[in-house]
Amino acid sequence: MSNSRIVILFWQLAILAVVLVVWQWGFEWSKALLPKAYVPKILDPYFVAKPSLIWQSFLRLGCFADTNGFAACITGNDNNLWLATLVTLKNTWWGFLFGSASGIAAGLVLGRSDFLARVFGPYIVALNSIPRIALVPLVILIFGLGDLSKIATAWLVVFFVVFFNTFEGTRAVDRDQIAAARLLGASEFTVLRTVVIPSALAWVFASLLPAVSFALIGVIVGEFIGAERGLGKLIIEAEARANASEMMVAIFVMMFVGILLAIAVRSLQSYLLRWQPQFEASA
Amino acid sequence: MIAAPGQGLALAHEDQTAAARTRIAVQGLAKRFNASGREFVAVDNVSFEVKQGEFVALLGPSGCGKSTILNMVAGLLPRSGGRILIDEDTVETGKVNPRVGYVFQRDTLFPWRTVEQNIGYGLEIAGLPRTERAGRVAAAVEKAGLSGFAQSFPRMLSGGMRQRVALMRTLILEPEILLMDEPFGALDTHTKLEMHKTLLEIWERERQTVLFVTHDLGEALTLASRIILLSARPGRLKEDFDVAIPRPRDPVAVRETAEFGRLYSHIWHSLGEEFRRTRAD
Repeated sequence: MSNSRIVILFWQLAILAVVLVVWQWGFEWSKALLPKAYVPKILDPYFVAKPSLIWQSFLRLGCFADTNGFAACITGNDNNLWLATLVTLKNTWWGFLFGSASGIAAGLVLGRSDFLARVFGPYIVALNSIPRIALVPLVILIFGLGDLSKIATAWLVVFFVVFFNTFEGTRAVDRDQIAAARLLGASEFTVLRTVVIPSALAWVFASLLPAVSFALIGVIVGEFIGAERGLGKLIIEAEARANASEMMVAIFVMMFVGILLAIAVRSLQSYLLRWQPQFEASA
Repeated sequence: MIAAPGQGLALAHEDQTAAARTRIAVQGLAKRFNASGREFVAVDNVSFEVKQGEFVALLGPSGCGKSTILNMVAGLLPRSGGRILIDEDTVETGKVNPRVGYVFQRDTLFPWRTVEQNIGYGLEIAGLPRTERAGRVAAAVEKAGLSGFAQSFPRMLSGGMRQRVALMRTLILEPEILLMDEPFGALDTHTKLEMHKTLLEIWERERQTVLFVTHDLGEALTLASRIILLSARPGRLKEDFDVAIPRPRDPVAVRETAEFGRLYSHIWHSLGEEFRRTRAD
C-alpha cells in the first residue's frame, strides 16, 4: 500500500514544501528563536537567496516585470535570460551531437579493428587522463570567446565517454550472431550495419545520458572562463554583483535544460532499445 | 556395416541413393588445435560423403570434434589437413556458399529484431523488395507455427519457439544443403520432440541434403536416414549405419519400430565404448 503512486507523490510534495518553507523563512525564524551564535549562516538569504527573491529575479531577468514591455526588454539586453538559455542550449546540443557522433564513429572503427585498437590504445588512455577542464583556457585561446569554444569544450568532454562505451559495446558483440549474419549472406558492411551497431547501441546509450550532462557542464565551464553570452556568463555577472537570487535563477534554468535533454535522450533510447526488457513498458 | 536383420532394407535404401550425386565430400579431414603450447588433435583423418537428399546425422560423444567437422564444412573454421568439397568445389574458409544453410546450437537470433524481421533477415539484406518479402515471411511464420508472434521480440518467446525462428531464418533462403549443429541440444524433451516433428515434416516434403550434428542417439535415429558414428577424441570415423525406418516418420511412433530398437541397442554399445574411452582419459 505504501508504495502506491499517491503515497509516493504525497511524500515527494511534502519534501518539496518543507524545503521551500525552510528556505524561505528558516533564517528569520531561527534568528528570532535562537541565540545569534546558533543561527546557521548557510540559511542567510545573502548567500542562498530565498524562493520569493528568486521568483522576483526570474520575473525581472525573464522580462516579465519590465515597465517597457516584454519585447523592448528582450531587445534591450543581449544576454537576457531567454537568449542566454538559448545560447547555452544550442552550444550544449551541438557539442553533444558532434561529441557523441565522433565518439561512436571512433568507437566502432577501433572496436572492429584489432590493429587500430592496439596502435591508438595508449594515446587514447593518455588523452583521457587529462582532466578536460584543464583544457578549457586553451580551447578559448584557440577558438575565441564565441560559441565555437563552448562547442569544442563540450565535444572534448563528451567524446571520450561515448567513445569508450561504443568501443566496449562493439567488442562485446556476440561472435555467433556475426557468424550467423555472415552465413545468411551479410557482407562486412552489412554485418556492421545490421548486427554490430544495433548490438552496441545499448552500450552507446548507457553513455549518452551522462554525456548530455557532461556537455552542459562543458559549456557552462567554458562560459565561466570566457564568454560573451550564456547562462554561465549570467552567473559570473551575478556573482560580481553578489546577487545570489540571480545565480539561483540561472541554476534552476540549467536544471530544467538538463532535465529536458535527459528526457529527449531517454525517449530516443526507449524507442531504439524497445527490444530490451527494461524498456518494454515504454515501447 | 550393420548386422543381418534389416540389411535387405538398408541395401535397397543405399541402392536408391547411389545414383544421387554427392553434395558434400569430406576427404582425410584433420584439425589440430594449439592449447597453451601443446598441440592436440581434435579431428583425425575423417572421410565421408553426403549425397543429394540424404539426412545424415554425425553422432559422437561430447568433445569428439563433430561440431568442429561441421564448422569446417561450413567454412567457419580453417582445417589443418584434408579436403572438403561441396558440389565439387573446395570449401574456402570465410567464404559463404549461398546454397548452404547453417543452424546454430546457441541462440543466435537478433534480439533487436522481431520474429518476422529475424526470419526475413536474409531476404532483406539480399535486397528483396518489401512487398515480395512480406509474403514469404508470412508463409514461413505460418509454417513454423508462430502465427500471432510475428511482431514479438525473441526474448518474449520460449526456447523452442526461438529455435523455430532460427530454423525458419535459415530455411527461408531455400538452402539445398543444411548444416545443423545440435540445434535442439538446449531444449527440454517435450519441446525437442515437437521440433523433431516440425523438422521431419519440412524435410520429408523438401528433401534438403542435411548434415546434422548430435550426441543424442534417439534424435539421430528419429531424424536421419544415415548415421555416421565418430570415436571419442581424436574424432575418427567409427561406423556408418543406414536408418531404414520408413517415412513419413512420427517422432513418438518411430521409437516403437523394430528397426529403431535394434539400431538403438547396437549403436548404444558402440557409443558406450567411446564414452568409456572419454572417461578413461
